[in-house]
Amino acid sequence: MAERRLVNCLRLLRFMASEMTQAELGERIGVTRQTIAAIEAGKYSPTLETAFKIAEVFGKPLEEVFQWEMQPAASESAEANGATETSKLHHLMRLHMTNRGGNTMP
Amino acid sequence: MPIKEQFSRVWLMTMLVTYGAYFAAVVAMGEAGFWSQMAAFIATVIVQVAALGIAGAIMELRHKGGPKADERDRAIDQRATRTAYHVLMAGVIILACVMPFSETGWRLFHAGVFAIAMAEIVRHGQIVLLYRRGWHG
Repeated sequence: MAERRLVNCLRLLRFMASEMTQAELGERIGVTRQTIAAIEAGKYSPTLETAFKIAEVFGKPLEEVFQWEMQPAASESAEANGATETSKLHHLMRLHMTNRGGNTMP
Repeated sequence: MPIKEQFSRVWLMTMLVTYGAYFAAVVAMGEAGFWSQMAAFIATVIVQVAALGIAGAIMELRHKGGPKADERDRAIDQRATRTAYHVLMAGVIILACVMPFSETGWRLFHAGVFAIAMAEIVRHGQIVLLYRRGWHG
């Protein structure tokens, strides 16, 4: 059975925000650098309050920072990996276009 | 590495070494007298407290002005404490409801110390594990 997991694009958002460091982001939202690293690596799911604080720092809605993704079962994972990567790439491109004020992708 | 994880690693190692030595001594002593057994226990507690005090002071100095515990640290600590509580409860049930019918004196005392030491080892072991492997609380 497929499970769901929380994914995020914190790394990209930090890069786009003048390469903000994990320590700077942590300081702004009141958590440690290690916690930011754990969130980025998918090792820790932040509380709702922290998630909103992170989104606020980058000026993005919550759903652009965090996504609730379907994690495929082991047997399906090989073929699903390609699709996940494609959807992630689309998401990142959409974010980048929005940031530049360009047209959003379909 | 977060200071809480470092401290738990030190705590875990200290517990394993001091209480490992203590229970090895208890087994070796067998049915020794009151003061021998009490001296072994007091020496273990003193060594453990001293080691933790020194390690804690060194870590405090190294992390002076550093970030304090945040939500992840607290969540991991709560989770580990909950698991350790079950270990302690199992120990207390055996100690208070089963052992009094067959054991007396120092054996009960050692069983109590063993239950407490196991609960602490499980707690700090789980804290280290949750920091390493991650946890989605």
